[in-house]
Amino acid sequence: MKRILPITNAVIAVVSGLIVLFGYFFPGLLSGIQSVLIGWAIIIAAFALLVGVFNLVMVHWKKTGTEGSNSIYSIVLLISLFITIIVAGLSGPTGSWTLWIFNNFQVPVEVSLLAVLAIVLLYAGARLLSRKPKWYTILFLITVLLVLVGSAPLFLAGESAPLSALRSWLSQVPAIAGARGLLLGVALGTVATGIRILIGIDRPYGG
Amino acid sequence: MTDIICPLCGKPNPEELDECQYCQAPLKVAGFIASPEDQEDFSQIFPPSPDQAGEEDQDTQPESPPPSEQSIPDWLKQTEASFLKPSEPEPEELSSEQLSEQIDALINLPSTPAEPQKSAIDDEWLTSLLSEAGAIESIPEGEVLLERAVETGEETSTPAGEETTQEEEEPPAVPAERPAWLTNLEASSNIKLDGGMQPSEVPEPEEQEASVEETGVPGASEHVEIPDWISKVSFEEVPPEPKEPEPPIEPAEIPGWLEALRPSEEATPTAPVEDVSAADVVTAGPLVGLRGVISAHPSAIQARKPPTYSIKLRVTEEQRARVQMMEELLAEEQKPKPPTSKRIITSQNIFRLAIALVLILPIVWMIIAKSQQSPLPQPANYPGVIDFFQQVQQLPAGAPVLVAFDYEPGFSGEMNSAVSTLLSQLMAKNTYLTLVTTAPSGVALAESLVKDAGTGLAGSLSSYPYYTDLGYLPGGTMGLLGLASSPKTVLPYSLEGIDVWASAPLNTVSSVTDFGAVIVITNDPDTARAWIEQVGPVLRAEDGPILMVTSSQAEPLIRPYYEASPSQVQGMVAGLAGGQAYSRAVGRQPQNGVWDAFSMGVTVSILIILIGGIISMVFMLQASARKRED
Repeated sequence: MKRILPITNAVIAVVSGLIVLFGYFFPGLLSGIQSVLIGWAIIIAAFALLVGVFNLVMVHWKKTGTEGSNSIYSIVLLISLFITIIVAGLSGPTGSWTLWIFNNFQVPVEVSLLAVLAIVLLYAGARLLSRKPKWYTILFLITVLLVLVGSAPLFLAGESAPLSALRSWLSQVPAIAGARGLLLGVALGTVATGIRILIGIDRPYGG
Repeated sequence: MTDIICPLCGKPNPEELDECQYCQAPLKVAGFIASPEDQEDFSQIFPPSPDQAGEEDQDTQPESPPPSEQSIPDWLKQTEASFLKPSEPEPEELSSEQLSEQIDALINLPSTPAEPQKSAIDDEWLTSLLSEAGAIESIPEGEVLLERAVETGEETSTPAGEETTQEEEEPPAVPAERPAWLTNLEASSNIKLDGGMQPSEVPEPEEQEASVEETGVPGASEHVEIPDWISKVSFEEVPPEPKEPEPPIEPAEIPGWLEALRPSEEATPTAPVEDVSAADVVTAGPLVGLRGVISAHPSAIQARKPPTYSIKLRVTEEQRARVQMMEELLAEEQKPKPPTSKRIITSQNIFRLAIALVLILPIVWMIIAKSQQSPLPQPANYPGVIDFFQQVQQLPAGAPVLVAFDYEPGFSGEMNSAVSTLLSQLMAKNTYLTLVTTAPSGVALAESLVKDAGTGLAGSLSSYPYYTDLGYLPGGTMGLLGLASSPKTVLPYSLEGIDVWASAPLNTVSSVTDFGAVIVITNDPDTARAWIEQVGPVLRAEDGPILMVTSSQAEPLIRPYYEASPSQVQGMVAGLAGGQAYSRAVGRQPQNGVWDAFSMGVTVSILIILIGGIISMVFMLQASARKRED
């Protein structure tokens, strides 16, 4: 049984992957079974989200008794989670109470995090030359200034077309070149990983 | 007087002595009594010392040798003496004159005609012994003569001319090897060759010949014991005379009676047998009854309980005090140290606070004042904005539009400007909004924005009714693929649990191609790419466009899809600036001061970085100048 199960898992995974893959090439022939398999995958992914929520509850439930003074954070998380579940369950996911919680807690918290990030980045940029500056440090700082100047019109100075064009060139040529290189590498890695899974070399499902 | 010749040093000693008075060697065991003739010869070779001469004068009375010694023939004595002669006697240091005299005496020894007679007598004695033993008949006459010749060293009657011829013809004489049986017999005999001639010290035939030539008498060595050092000295100092070739010594034949004494070679020695008669008899175990073996009884290897030792240490008072001190030290190490109180007011904290105030205060002021000093960006300066506006504007009234809210609430400040304008335009076109999201928080975000946009419409006091929220789409890219191929299968019900696919206008939608447009609102470039890659191939150009509302950080990666030919994204609005440009294109002029606040924030940020960089450079240069001065 221990030998049969891994082989069965591998066969199921490989066949499912090949059907979904060939569904792109032969949409009329395999679209039906492809849709069924995709529906199953979506259900499993949704169930995985529920499992993740349950795991989060269990982890922080254990921390409430072991972390001492730090357990207050776990307690706050658990209380917030259960209150949100209760409110969303009663008023619905788009109910007024649910939207009130969303607009008055989640949105401000996330926005303030980004605002703090902006302050920190600005402070780091101001102190970037306080230590021994290298040539790439100065280059990085100059690039930041050029992009900032080209992103928006300066207050009481207006928009500078050449600076906007320079900012557009910096973001579209050097930045995209590096990003595309990374994406190509990721894509090749994804293809290689997919092939390994399809031929059964890698078995992330076990076996 | 009868003296005993020392077998070690060869000097005569008085009879009463047990040890040699010269070399302290034992005389009675290994020595022999010299005959008067020998004593004369010795007196010629070794002149007695004055003390010794006096003693000899006192003992002038002739003494007959003991009967046992008388029965020993002279040749046997000589043979014994030669055997018992030390291999390397230590020579006495003599003067050169004495050495020359001794050498002359050795070379010019008078011929002793009595020697052949002696040997003849010896032969007769031996013959008589052999006749008594009954073995004389088996010995050939020739062999007897040969033995005599070997013993006496007498030359055979062969002519000189014949000897020369024979020597030239025959190969050089090879020293005769001693037979193994004779070596074994010698080893097993009681007479050991201690101090005598060892097998390895057999004199070379050349040396023997040289001694014969030096003396001129072959049998001289039988009577005179010449130390080796004398022969060496004479051999070295006297130049060798042209010696006449001598016949090689023929190997002697072993007589029959001697052959009979040869030990049997077939009798190989057997391994020694251990005597186990005195050993103990095994009384238990599988080897019971055997003698001289180790018992295999378990009791022989039974483990015994090890003796117990007290583990209590004898600790002195001083050691106990040190242990206590060590324990206290360890206990102090384990105690958590109270955290050192950090100073709240530091230069860095002040600098951070200053930056925050400089950045926040102007922005807040601009928003409060709703400043409109900065001009709104032109839509033409932002790629994709005009196309985006036109694609939305071209949507037919009442057409279903799929709107994906896939951005985080943290980006609301950047995205909401464009999203609000978009929703207003869509609502103005009276399109049917089908909301979907791949982010868990997107459902509430979408609902909130739609309600805000609906209530904001001119003259409307209620929310916009023509929309449905399909909710969260799990599965990531897999969910997007399913949505593109069969949205009814993936999301059959709305959040209210209504089968929206059964009623108008979604009852005409079987795939994503049936939507009038697919509008994706996201701040993540990966999410935008997933939408383009999974849904884009399903959509054809005539079916409906894909429109993107992205953040500024995702814009560089989405823009190539828009600028491609054919384009995979038909219109895009990126960031706050794009949202403002799109609002301007739509005709909505927001009067909230956000654009001025953004412009002020960017300007202040540039100034902070520039000023901070200059100050940092100045401080760094000053520090480096101080280091140089030091």
